[in-house]
Amino acid sequence: MPALKRALLLIVLCFYTAFAAGPFVWAAMMSLRTTTEIHRNHFAPPIPAHWDKFAEAWFNSNYSLYFANSTQIVVSAVVMLTIIGSMAAHCLARYRFRLNRIIYFVLFSTIIFPPQITIISLFQILVQYGLYNSKIGLTLVYVAIQLPLTIYILESFFARIPSDLFDAARIDGYSDWEIFWRVSLPIALPAVSTTVILNFILLWNEFLYAVVLITEEANRTLPLGIQRFIGDTQEDVGMIATGLMIAIIPVVVVYAFFSERLIQGMTAGAVK
Amino acid sequence: MAVVSLDRLTKVYDRTLAPAADAVSLEVRHGEFMVLLGPSGCGKTTTLRMIAGLESISAGKLSIDGRIVNEVPAKDRDIAMVFQSYALYPHMSVKDNLAFGLRRRSVSRPEIERRVTAVAGTLGLSGLLDRKPHALSGGQRQRVALGRAIVRDPKVFLFDEPLSNLDAALRVSTRGEIAKLHRRLGATMIYVTHDQVEAMTLGNRICIMNGGRVVQVGAPLAVYRRPANTFVAGFLGNPPMNLLPATGTGANGGLAVKLGETILELPAARCPPIPEGSAVILGIRPENVSDRPDNGGLATTLEAEIVQVEPLGAETIVAARVAGLERDLMARIGADAEWSVGNRCTLALDLSAVHVFDASSGAALALHA
Repeated sequence: MPALKRALLLIVLCFYTAFAAGPFVWAAMMSLRTTTEIHRNHFAPPIPAHWDKFAEAWFNSNYSLYFANSTQIVVSAVVMLTIIGSMAAHCLARYRFRLNRIIYFVLFSTIIFPPQITIISLFQILVQYGLYNSKIGLTLVYVAIQLPLTIYILESFFARIPSDLFDAARIDGYSDWEIFWRVSLPIALPAVSTTVILNFILLWNEFLYAVVLITEEANRTLPLGIQRFIGDTQEDVGMIATGLMIAIIPVVVVYAFFSERLIQGMTAGAVK
Repeated sequence: MAVVSLDRLTKVYDRTLAPAADAVSLEVRHGEFMVLLGPSGCGKTTTLRMIAGLESISAGKLSIDGRIVNEVPAKDRDIAMVFQSYALYPHMSVKDNLAFGLRRRSVSRPEIERRVTAVAGTLGLSGLLDRKPHALSGGQRQRVALGRAIVRDPKVFLFDEPLSNLDAALRVSTRGEIAKLHRRLGATMIYVTHDQVEAMTLGNRICIMNGGRVVQVGAPLAVYRRPANTFVAGFLGNPPMNLLPATGTGANGGLAVKLGETILELPAARCPPIPEGSAVILGIRPENVSDRPDNGGLATTLEAEIVQVEPLGAETIVAARVAGLERDLMARIGADAEWSVGNRCTLALDLSAVHVFDASSGAALALHA
């Protein structure tokens, strides 16, 4: 009976893996084939493999620039989100003050609004402050849209840190600022890692705000770069796939680096 | 060592509710082990946290060695505290936990190393210095928490129910370690607990609190033998003192009272004359209720029916129903008594150990040496 159960489980897992990984493998295969080859047979293996397409995309199709822009914008936004978000979450979880829960609710309630609602006003604000079509402008928008979710995730974690630890640190002579950096933040590292990885993946793949707020070639991010290969009448499917693979690599690296902590953060408190 | 003085210390969290600590006055002497004892919600932890500087003081004065410290931050009071939850920093090793407070106080590295090594040696933590708290047993964590307090060499040690999370056997041994520690350091210690055994065994004096107020302060045995009111009488002792409603008859110079259907003649040394018809509460500890009516010194006997028998090995606790009494009478009798539920028996009350309380206020009518 256990063997049968195990076999059934393996079959289900195989189906799920094929379902989840199939599109990725297909895109990976297409990234090594030319558009002509793809049109001839959509699912054929990449023989011969055109590795030179990566070099072509990187050097001739401006992917190096898009990659650098994405890295600059997303890393800056994630750093700001992590610092501001964890400070705000620590404050909301730790201190009793008037309007604490109201501020928390207002922050969290912004999550329910679809991004299309805010995009026109954000556009106006950025134009007014001279931040339209700039990397700084997009970075600030990314911080603004992801901050509520970041605070929500971190606040619930910070709230579970026993207050005795803060009291012990106060008696040990540490100020509130030092307690945040030396006690709260290190303890909350699993949750912080969760927000880092979530924010990185969401912002790295973000398209809507980027396409509205960035028009100059010099400031384009990777998702906008990939879009350039989609024309009105025809698409360079091979180059799109190559661009996708270039875009995916950092996400895979970040996930591999933080995945253990991500799981810790998501399951924290589940087991005593 | 230090003297800690609490002068009408009050803590109000919500003006619509009763104060959590209400005009608590107490002086803890140099090197004294003072235990704050009381049931949950009596204000003992709030009082301790005010002494620690973790709660603001709503009214009253707190001084340490004559210096008023109401507005002095916790870090500048030169106190150390051991928490119920241990409060060890989970991301730091045992060594870092011990050294954390010293680093903030700009103690030199060699001195930190020396102190941490010495304390670890004293508490048997030398082999655990590189471990994280999650890799320690409950007893080891408690020792680290103690070590973190000792290593700072503070004026005053505060303990907030430090043994509550330990199992029974470990609690007994750790209790012994804390007592030894106090003898060795001779430091002023204030210890909060709801466990009367801890209070009786550890404290030089105990301060019993109820409803945010101090009810009685004194040496453990003095408080046990001469409770100031029915609350203390009922709180200290296991099983607690029998508190039996009685009425003065006015006979025998006011010393005769009616308990159920029995008239008792109280010794003159135990209470002032009780006017006829006055309601009083007679308190008698279970160890002063005997199953041997012929025992010397016992003044009166009561017929009762056994309703509960708890053999504990060294002794047996018996609950007996006496006609005319609302509550069962608890007795602590010898282990050799072979009584069972439903049996009739004769119980003897040692009236030389009886306590008499006013029925309305609950206060002892007389305290005797």
